[in-house]
Amino acid sequence: MKRFLLLLRSIRRTQGEGPESERTSGERRVMTDGGTSEKRSTFQRWLDSDIVQSAPFWLPPFLLMGFFVYAAIGWNFLLSLTEYSGFGDPDYSNLGLQNYWAMLDDPGMWAATRNTFVLLVGFTVVCLIVGLLLALLLDREIRFSRSFRTIYLLPFALSFIVTAQFWRWMYNVNNGIINQFIGVFGLGPYSWLGSPKLVLGAVIFALVWQFSGYTMIIYLAALRSIPNDQYEAARADGASTVRMYWRVIIPQLRPAMVSATVTLVLFALKAFDFLYATFDGYRPRRGADILATKMVRESFGRSEWAYGSSIALMLFVLSLGVITPYLYNQYKRGNL
Amino acid sequence: MLKGAGAAGLAGLAGCTGGGGSDTLEVLHGWTGGDGADAADALFSAFEDEHSDIDFNENPIGGGGNENLDQTVANRLQGGNPPSSFAGWPGANLEQYGDAVGDIESEVWDEAGLKEAHVQEAVELCEYNDGFSAVPLGSHRLNDLFYNVGVLEDAGVDPESIDSADALIDALDAVESETDATPFAFSLAPWCILQTWAQTMLGEHGYEAYTNFIDGNGDEAAVRDTFEKLEQILGYINSDAASVDFTEVNQDIMSGDAAFIHQGNWAAGAYLSPDRDLTYGEDWDAIRYPGTEDYYTLHIDSFIYPSDNPTPEDTATWLQFVGSEEAQVAFNQYKGSIPTLTDVSTDEFNPYLTDTIDDFDNAAEKPPTLAHGLAVDTSTQADLEDVLNNNFADPYDVDGATSGFMDSV
Repeated sequence: MKRFLLLLRSIRRTQGEGPESERTSGERRVMTDGGTSEKRSTFQRWLDSDIVQSAPFWLPPFLLMGFFVYAAIGWNFLLSLTEYSGFGDPDYSNLGLQNYWAMLDDPGMWAATRNTFVLLVGFTVVCLIVGLLLALLLDREIRFSRSFRTIYLLPFALSFIVTAQFWRWMYNVNNGIINQFIGVFGLGPYSWLGSPKLVLGAVIFALVWQFSGYTMIIYLAALRSIPNDQYEAARADGASTVRMYWRVIIPQLRPAMVSATVTLVLFALKAFDFLYATFDGYRPRRGADILATKMVRESFGRSEWAYGSSIALMLFVLSLGVITPYLYNQYKRGNL
Repeated sequence: MLKGAGAAGLAGLAGCTGGGGSDTLEVLHGWTGGDGADAADALFSAFEDEHSDIDFNENPIGGGGNENLDQTVANRLQGGNPPSSFAGWPGANLEQYGDAVGDIESEVWDEAGLKEAHVQEAVELCEYNDGFSAVPLGSHRLNDLFYNVGVLEDAGVDPESIDSADALIDALDAVESETDATPFAFSLAPWCILQTWAQTMLGEHGYEAYTNFIDGNGDEAAVRDTFEKLEQILGYINSDAASVDFTEVNQDIMSGDAAFIHQGNWAAGAYLSPDRDLTYGEDWDAIRYPGTEDYYTLHIDSFIYPSDNPTPEDTATWLQFVGSEEAQVAFNQYKGSIPTLTDVSTDEFNPYLTDTIDDFDNAAEKPPTLAHGLAVDTSTQADLEDVLNNNFADPYDVDGATSGFMDSV
């Protein structure tokens, strides 16, 4: 990109060479160090600056993003300060933080926040562990490793609407395959999606099933980029397989883990579609309500637009809390 | 933010698809499948026969139990691009629309003489802001307790003797001990719990206690007692009640795997389907929910008139038609509901609906349903459903649910 811009500028320079050199030749004068200088107007220098030259590339997406994403977020924040609900137009003349205070008094809000965090941490950690184990397994060059890779990745390719319906059937109390299976060992039947104690765990399990293949691929790519010498050196030093992975290989997977974590956490924050499909609406069973479902329910179910906006902003702040350290870290490493 | 974008998107979309734009009568409804779609077809072709000069565009928006329809309507009213008319519940449900719905008292109600033609309860429920904003199309009865005749015979239960919650609990107990069938087929969806709670309240404590509760003067002891009775009844439900919807459990009534189900009488549509060889009175039957024998719990489908109407005259013609006998007979015989007109011929209706019409004419009171927009506004109804979802959807917390209900209304 940068090289292309330089090329573009040099072409413009050569095109303008003829007349420009004639025009400026009279102004050319001797500097104290013996060189010559070109006197150019500030405007021309501004026109020639990197930022203006590259404007055709960054300006349209900047404006589009600015308007559709950041202005919308700003508007959302403004809405959250009003008392906008029902039909009609929001009244912007009387702004205040009342919706944010109301959140503190809303037990449903606390429950949704708690569930969001449990989902976030549980889902991310289990996904990272399962993905790592799968990746290490496939990295051992076992037979049919390519087929296994495809099999593990397949759930990730399916739509949530499809997988949610699968899991609804599999979790059915009477004839679901999960209860049939544990029934063989004399357990259950459990109401996986019905019991407030089990439902969040059941949702996390289903999501881990779907996303661990993705984590696996990220890890696997990182594993493949580690030179074989390191395996051999570790072996030559007499390290066991477990020790070799623990001491030599896994520490090198940190960047892969960080990027997988960010993706997983951001997904978990808005795992709305899976819950919507599982519970056939935006009112999940008690114990599985998260901020995203509560936000949609408050806005579109009750027309409490301002309150819904303030929940949306909470979600946004949480997402920022995850993504900012990551971006800063990347910036410090010079990856941005 | 989302809403604004949605409204803008929809406004843009409607602008594209509207074609003639403001000239076309555009009617939104949610009947996209099964008996609903048949009923809507019958309704619109009857309208076409009668008013061939009016260009109209019926726009069915299905999915999510009217969630999508309501959202589209909300977005379009909000975005200043209202349809000519849309299907929805009258009563307290209208309150959410504020000034976005208009008055059609003189153009429709007086002009067509609908006030005298319809039952008083339906007329009152369409009143709004000192005028009228809706026209009733038909009514489902909410206090039906359907049962499988064979299962009850096996259990030795006489349905006609069930006249109280305690009698129902005894009957459920008999079914459980005498047969393999589920005594009480149920879905723990919050709106289902709410409608059964309302019938239990009505049956155990009567019309006055029920309307007092709706008006916000509920008797805490009555509310608590209703929850206690309901908890006992829900002890006899299917084990997968938390994860199925009512259409799934309704299958068990037809197959003989369940004895009773309480639903609005839309549930009967499945029993009457020609694909099923089931006979009313022989294979399946219905009694009133115990204790509500003298009542007809009223549910109403209506068409609503948005203010700032794109086609005021054609919409008035449409709404006069909706309130007429032609429209109501055409629609309701397929929908499994009944006309809200006082004096209507039952020739076109099946025996079950004929009985229902008869009960409708003779009911001592017609209390409005609590779970379908007539009794309380949208936000209160959502509060009640939240309370049930959090406190009374297995496990059952009578104290929490009682205080939640008392605080919500």
